[in-house]
Amino acid sequence: MKILIVEDEPSLREIMAQTLRREQYVVELAADYASGLDKIAAYDYDCILLDIMLPGGSGLRLLEELKRRSSSAGVIIISARDSLDDKIGGLELGADDYLPKPFHLAELSARIRSVMRRHRQQGRRYLEAGNVRLWPESRRVEIAGNDVELLRKEYDILHYFMARPNHTIDKAALAEGVWGDHIDQADNFDFVYAQMKNLRRKLEQAGADIEIRAVYGFGYKLVRP
Amino acid sequence: MKLVSRILLHLVWTLSLLLAAWAVLFYLAMNDRINAEMDDSLALRAETILTRYLAGQPLPEAESGANGYLLRDIPESYAAVRPKELFSDEKIHISERDAREPARVLRTLFRDGAGAWHELTMMTPSVGRRTLTQALLRWVVALYAILLLLILVVTVWVLRRTMRPLYALLRWLDDYTVGAQNPPLAADTTVEEFRRLNEAAQRYAARAESLFERQKQFIGNASHEMQTPLAVCRNRLELLVDDPSLTERQLGEIAKVQQTLGYLVRLNRSLLLLTKIENGQFPETEPVRMNDLVRTTFGELGEIHAHRGMTCTFRDEGALVVRMNASLAGSLVANLLKNAFVHGRAGGRIVVRVAPGILEVANDAAGGALDASRIFDRFYHDARREGSTGLGLAIVDAVCRLYGLQAAYLFEEGMHCFRIRFPESAPSV
Repeated sequence: MKILIVEDEPSLREIMAQTLRREQYVVELAADYASGLDKIAAYDYDCILLDIMLPGGSGLRLLEELKRRSSSAGVIIISARDSLDDKIGGLELGADDYLPKPFHLAELSARIRSVMRRHRQQGRRYLEAGNVRLWPESRRVEIAGNDVELLRKEYDILHYFMARPNHTIDKAALAEGVWGDHIDQADNFDFVYAQMKNLRRKLEQAGADIEIRAVYGFGYKLVRP
Repeated sequence: MKLVSRILLHLVWTLSLLLAAWAVLFYLAMNDRINAEMDDSLALRAETILTRYLAGQPLPEAESGANGYLLRDIPESYAAVRPKELFSDEKIHISERDAREPARVLRTLFRDGAGAWHELTMMTPSVGRRTLTQALLRWVVALYAILLLLILVVTVWVLRRTMRPLYALLRWLDDYTVGAQNPPLAADTTVEEFRRLNEAAQRYAARAESLFERQKQFIGNASHEMQTPLAVCRNRLELLVDDPSLTERQLGEIAKVQQTLGYLVRLNRSLLLLTKIENGQFPETEPVRMNDLVRTTFGELGEIHAHRGMTCTFRDEGALVVRMNASLAGSLVANLLKNAFVHGRAGGRIVVRVAPGILEVANDAAGGALDASRIFDRFYHDARREGSTGLGLAIVDAVCRLYGLQAAYLFEEGMHCFRIRFPESAPSV
């Protein structure tokens, strides 16, 4: 699986590369418009992470170039601008997703996985971790072949972790991801603990071979023991 | 006090004094002149009689009454102490009518050829003079009043006409809001001073506008520029957390740094949101059912802040549907409610009311009333709460200003109350 990162900020480029390599992707890097253009002209990628403001030209022009070549690569726009115009413009030009900076690395890998899943078109419409399968469209969860009833927030939490396996998730990031932006001034995460307790109990009862493990003082991580 | 009133007041008292003095002087002068005329005619008649008397010619028959004359002999001792000619106003007895009437009297003392002293008393009735001076007085007073009134009326008219550009400028300044859509200043005046005033006002408005614009741009740019370094910090920490050799204590510290970083990210995001609202970057609108939005958000926030033990009451008193940007409506409602949960007294009440045209959020106050004039300012904190950006109500205010809603803060019965009014003319559907 080959990913191209077009990002001019060296530090961010390096971090993204490091994360994605750890997830067994093949990562190539481009720092500006010209080298980005060279790369997409020479190679095919499964996924391209594209910054919009690049030295030497706009990321949106690279997107047009990709479209012209009818490239099959999934494209995720990564922008500091978080402006609606960029978002609409990018999505209209055929980008698959839009991720405003600053983002969580777990979010980045979840988005990449989601884009790849859509692109591969293998008919695999579910997420899988161990013997747990989750269908995002129908909000259905199956553990060891049996359907499991989850409450709304429990499902959301499980979905969040299954889209980000092996990432240690900060409880604030989890709360934001599941409860939305309203969470931003919470100073007490009891509501997360309560939901998490129920979810873990249900996973265990259903015989799941995955576990959402608490990382003390920090958050949680989905692991397969 | 209005300029016109001030000018009028000054005119009234200076003109009253001046015109009054003028009227008095005029009246006195005229009166004096009339007296002098009468005295002259008396003296002339006296001289005629005197000449005839001394020449031994027959005297005209002494008319009785007011127009008559009287000739009598007087002793020398009397003549010595009296002036030779004396005018006086007297009441004389008119025998025909058996009444006393005012008259002007001239007493002349003279000596005939034999050296004997006589006194000639000439009189002329002054009833006519009285009516004359009275008429004069009346006219002077009437004209004085009319003149004063006319001057004032003309002044007001002239002032209103000439000051028109000034009032146009004032109206324009009153309606002017920096950063908003302002109509051009309609003032084509040829008066030099007004033209300069208009130019100055427009110059300063343009200056304020450009400063405002630059400030807005600066905040926007600064926030944009901070996004990437923030992303780098956050992501480096996330990479670090996956290192299995970290101890629990180290993880705990990283979590705290993450939290502070999260605060910084939120702050930056809020500033960007404010900039975008002010730049009008949320053009698309749709009908938003406030009742549903408030109910959902209120429920979620109640769940999140359950540990604060607040009593939440939601009063749905009728549909409130507003045409606005859906994500801004979300921001408006979330920030208002969040403010109540975060700053309300733990264990207190939160009462949210949605009625046609009104959204109201009230929470039990921990302290007294807040400064209503600054409550919607950026970074206004009554008591600092960690994790609070101090921008929530500023965002509420920005959204309200964008859609012409009226946001008000009230302190009633120990509760902070934020009331948003959706005017009839506002884009409600």
